[in-house]
Amino acid sequence: MMVSLGNVLFNGLAYGMLLFVISVGLSVTMGLMGFANLAHGAFAMLGGYVATTLMNKAGVPFLLTLPIAFVAVAAASFVLERGLYRRLYRAGELDQVLLTIGLVFMAVAGATYVWGPGQQPVRMPDYLTGQWTVAGIDVGVYRLFLILVGIAVTAALVLGIERTRFGAMIRAAVDNPRMAQGCGINVNRVFSLTFMAGSGLAGLGGAVGINLIGLDPGFPIKFMVYFLIVVAVGGLGSIKGSLIAALLLGVFDVGGKYYVPEVGAFIIYAVMVSLLLWRPAGLFGRR
Amino acid sequence: MAEPLLSVRGLSAGYGDASVLDEVSFELEEGGALALLGRNGMGKSTLLATLMGHTLRRGGGIALRGRPVERLAPHLRPGAGFGWVPQERDIFPSLTVEENLTVAARHGPWTLARVHELFPRLRERRSNLGFQLSGGEQQMLAIGRALMLNPALVLLDEPLEGLAPVIVEELSAAIRRMVEREGLAIILVEQHAHIALGLTREAIVLERGRIVHRASSETLAQDHATLERYVGMRVAAKAA
Repeated sequence: MMVSLGNVLFNGLAYGMLLFVISVGLSVTMGLMGFANLAHGAFAMLGGYVATTLMNKAGVPFLLTLPIAFVAVAAASFVLERGLYRRLYRAGELDQVLLTIGLVFMAVAGATYVWGPGQQPVRMPDYLTGQWTVAGIDVGVYRLFLILVGIAVTAALVLGIERTRFGAMIRAAVDNPRMAQGCGINVNRVFSLTFMAGSGLAGLGGAVGINLIGLDPGFPIKFMVYFLIVVAVGGLGSIKGSLIAALLLGVFDVGGKYYVPEVGAFIIYAVMVSLLLWRPAGLFGRR
Repeated sequence: MAEPLLSVRGLSAGYGDASVLDEVSFELEEGGALALLGRNGMGKSTLLATLMGHTLRRGGGIALRGRPVERLAPHLRPGAGFGWVPQERDIFPSLTVEENLTVAARHGPWTLARVHELFPRLRERRSNLGFQLSGGEQQMLAIGRALMLNPALVLLDEPLEGLAPVIVEELSAAIRRMVEREGLAIILVEQHAHIALGLTREAIVLERGRIVHRASSETLAQDHATLERYVGMRVAAKAA
């Protein structure tokens, strides 16, 4: 039976929004700070484990685990940034990749040790389950929730960067770090805070994503390529680009798997290659 | 004698392996106005960049109101009292004109309203992005941004370079007002020696990273031989 286009679009958008929430921090880190952080997916995974542990062991309500996952992952990323990443800001990309890939292996092994190799069981609250049928489209409540989270994150990012003084400091520091320092802006601290916020968003994404894409210790490796595609196609450091790339990726991935299951897993790569041939710096790349 | 505003002692600095400044020493009193002259590549911009902490300092000291600042991180130097108007103006292109001013703001007598009063054009263009400005407007913005830091000393690096004569007039008047009416201290690097000497009280001339001449601006303006020797024929001829 053919799945209706409306269903594919809706499911694809929900999936794309999730990819956006997880990936946008990586785009910021790579675009603004020039740091290739392949361990970004490990931050998302940590957010997921924080949420499941709080729910399953401490009975914390699901919605309350989300801000906690954000804060916990942001704090963990601060420790890593101060302790490890900072030393490699001026190093080559290969050094950065080797360090962060090593962190991924450690995260996978560590998560297996602490939480076991299997999928984390998770039970969503009743108000986030179920499904409505609207104009022939099956609207899953949880997917609708993901789309709303994505819209809220986008709005917060755009307002935060375009309308606040801290956002102006970020833009100034990216435009011209030397002059930003000449205006008294602590560029390193601005970047640190930005990095923490981006990692926190990955943690939030990991937590809201469990119900859709699952959570096991292989998470950072399994989804690494998706996050990297979002960043590459969207253009480094572009929020708008990340959003559009993530939504395209979500829709094509879901559509490919529904309509042409034999080659479905390859569709996203074909889309990525075509888009990058068209715009090598990504849709909204600076360079 | 009262403590000088700025005291530079035996300052040597450069970039990487290259040494540019060689044992530079000078002082500037409160409210003083100093012209920094010399041909291109003689170390004028490097001296200002060193005051802002953007070069590799090899030796010597910098004190602002008696406080040693040569080891301060670059982002702390505006707080110590330096306001910098760099040669390339370095307006932030993705910030609006108003954001370019407010992102740097520090508490003090200079506010957005007073910068707008000094440069009314910046009020008209407040919502434009930095890259949409003309050269003269960019320069006004760069000066306004430095004033928003409420500095004790403004470092002006060729603020009149490449601008139309009418804009040069307007900016010169603004700089004169900063010095004479507001009592701000400035160090002015300028290729147009006659304009620079007209806006300042003291002058030093740099040649290959060393100070080779010191005089009052008034005296140096009449000293065509020295100007010709260290600053260049073209400028000396204009000054004559």
